Amino acid sequence: MDGIESEQVVAADAQASGGGGAGSRTPLLELRKMSKQFGPVQALSEIDLKVYPGEVTAVVGDNGAGKSVTLKTISGIHPPDGGEILWQGKPVHIRTPKDASALGIETVYQDLALCGNLDVVQNMFLGRERTRNHLLDENSMESAAAATLSSLSVTTLRSVRQSVASLSGGQRQAVAVAKAVMWNSKLVIMDEPTAALGVAQTAMVLELTRRLASRGLGVIFVSHNFNDVFEVADQIAVLYLGRLVASLPAKGLDRQVVVDYVTSGASSRNGSQLAHADGA
Amino acid sequence: MDVAPQTSRLEIPGAGPAIPGSSGAELAHLDFEDERVAALQEQRLAQRRRFIERLQGEGLLLVFGLVFAVMWASSRYFLTVANLLTAASVVSILGIMAVLETLIVIVGEIDISIGSVMAATSVMIGLLVTSGVDVWLAAVIGLAFAGAVGAVNGIITVYFKINSLVTTLGTYSIFLGIAYVVSNTMTVNIGGEGFGKLGSGTILSVPVPVFFFVAIWATVFFVARFTVLGRHIYATGDSYEAALRAGIQADRLRVGLFVAIGLSAGVAGILVTSELGSAAPQIGDPYLLSVVTAVILGGASLRGGRGTMFGTLVAVAILGVLQNGFALLQFSSFLENTVIGCLLIFAVLTDRLVRRAER
Repeated sequence: MDGIESEQVVAADAQASGGGGAGSRTPLLELRKMSKQFGPVQALSEIDLKVYPGEVTAVVGDNGAGKSVTLKTISGIHPPDGGEILWQGKPVHIRTPKDASALGIETVYQDLALCGNLDVVQNMFLGRERTRNHLLDENSMESAAAATLSSLSVTTLRSVRQSVASLSGGQRQAVAVAKAVMWNSKLVIMDEPTAALGVAQTAMVLELTRRLASRGLGVIFVSHNFNDVFEVADQIAVLYLGRLVASLPAKGLDRQVVVDYVTSGASSRNGSQLAHADGA
Repeated sequence: MDVAPQTSRLEIPGAGPAIPGSSGAELAHLDFEDERVAALQEQRLAQRRRFIERLQGEGLLLVFGLVFAVMWASSRYFLTVANLLTAASVVSILGIMAVLETLIVIVGEIDISIGSVMAATSVMIGLLVTSGVDVWLAAVIGLAFAGAVGAVNGIITVYFKINSLVTTLGTYSIFLGIAYVVSNTMTVNIGGEGFGKLGSGTILSVPVPVFFFVAIWATVFFVARFTVLGRHIYATGDSYEAALRAGIQADRLRVGLFVAIGLSAGVAGILVTSELGSAAPQIGDPYLLSVVTAVILGGASLRGGRGTMFGTLVAVAILGVLQNGFALLQFSSFLENTVIGCLLIFAVLTDRLVRRAER
């Protein structure tokens, strides 16, 4: 136990020194000692995580490490039992998904939560339809949806009136992301966004993810796939058995170090890695 | 063409780029191949979907035309205004329930208790009238009862998470049994000059039930097509999870629809009771099969998320012409069951085809 905690301190130091001055800015979202228990199971213990605007923060970890619980806690599905959530430096309570979206947190779920029988516009506005004299205002919704899609450079859609059932996996992901971005969101959580995609579509989604960050949004990118993580992430946070064991800047990071953390919760390569990061 | 197999080979693992740091040029190349294959596939699917849509749209109209033409050729009474109005009046009862059943099927449920709710409503009105209650008040109480049965169906299905087929099969049996026991299988005569007009009166020589049907159909068509409520019904039917995450109150929505179809069965029960001038427990018998057939024939999918009011309208018209034709030609009403059963199977098979085209 002691070993893990000391690792955490080292990791935090690494972030302060090697994170490109990240310490001086206010994080968009900060988790302080956040914990979550399901009956006798301690799913998360005292997670400390900072997510900055304009950055992609990847959350990696093995199955059961607590990745989904972490994101569900942030998105209001499983409110935490202990610890604090700070939003733009102020403590907040996120008890329901509505609380989360009121703050500007939108989640793109792994199964996307889209309706195949509805078209792109109808999906993007589902649950928040615009009306005019109590009737659906199709024109206004269509132009807003088209504007959001083109601002994200999503150009592969034949028509915004295409039914979602007819879209490819990558296109659906793009629609789900556009849906999340449309509501003036500040933080977008992406849960395994490339899990079901082919090579080209994965590249498209990763590009889209970078584009969100370059627009100044904070992005939490949950993934199993190290290739994807190293391609998009600015920060990599590693969860191991419900604890945050490392939070490292991705630039110049040795992949093997992350593998060590994911599989054992610690890395003997840590010293040399830090030296490497400082040198870069 | 020799590049294509390579693309698919790379895609099989589905674990993202196999080579770390694959260059942008490579990805762009793959992108092109990927998109082209996807485009071809999409084109093929779109073609099949269009065919199916025509089968369900124009195909259904064609069936209607065919049935109409056969009846026209078979009986010289068929194409008379009086006969067509009678046919419309008869089929309106079925139509009223089919409209709401379409919504129930779109939202991903089914209600097969409608026939017995009709019967129970009718028997209740009969009992109330014989014990001295005003017939109009009795009708209102009957309607409220039908709505309450719908609420029970909805609450059991939604909050206890019971398959609606099972729930409504149960309530079907319960209320049919009660209707027979309470009425002692007797038919109760119901007087009241004005009340009789509901079922057998005419306005501008059009039977009153037709007005009920048209009004209900038009209202539901409008709601399904142009309102937030309609959009949410389609969304919930396709993906309950997605609907919940979008903040739609999917449970309340489903219970509400069960109440609505209960009320529609109540209206149907009142109209038939009025038309016959009597309350009887067997009046609902023919409707279970024909209502569900109309809905599925009209293109609504039992999987939920799919169905149109227009389709249901045409399907109701087809059944109306068939029923009328069978009566005119003096065929056995048992044969009518056989034909409707065939139509139901045919409709379900078409639904299957549609779903295959979507994958």
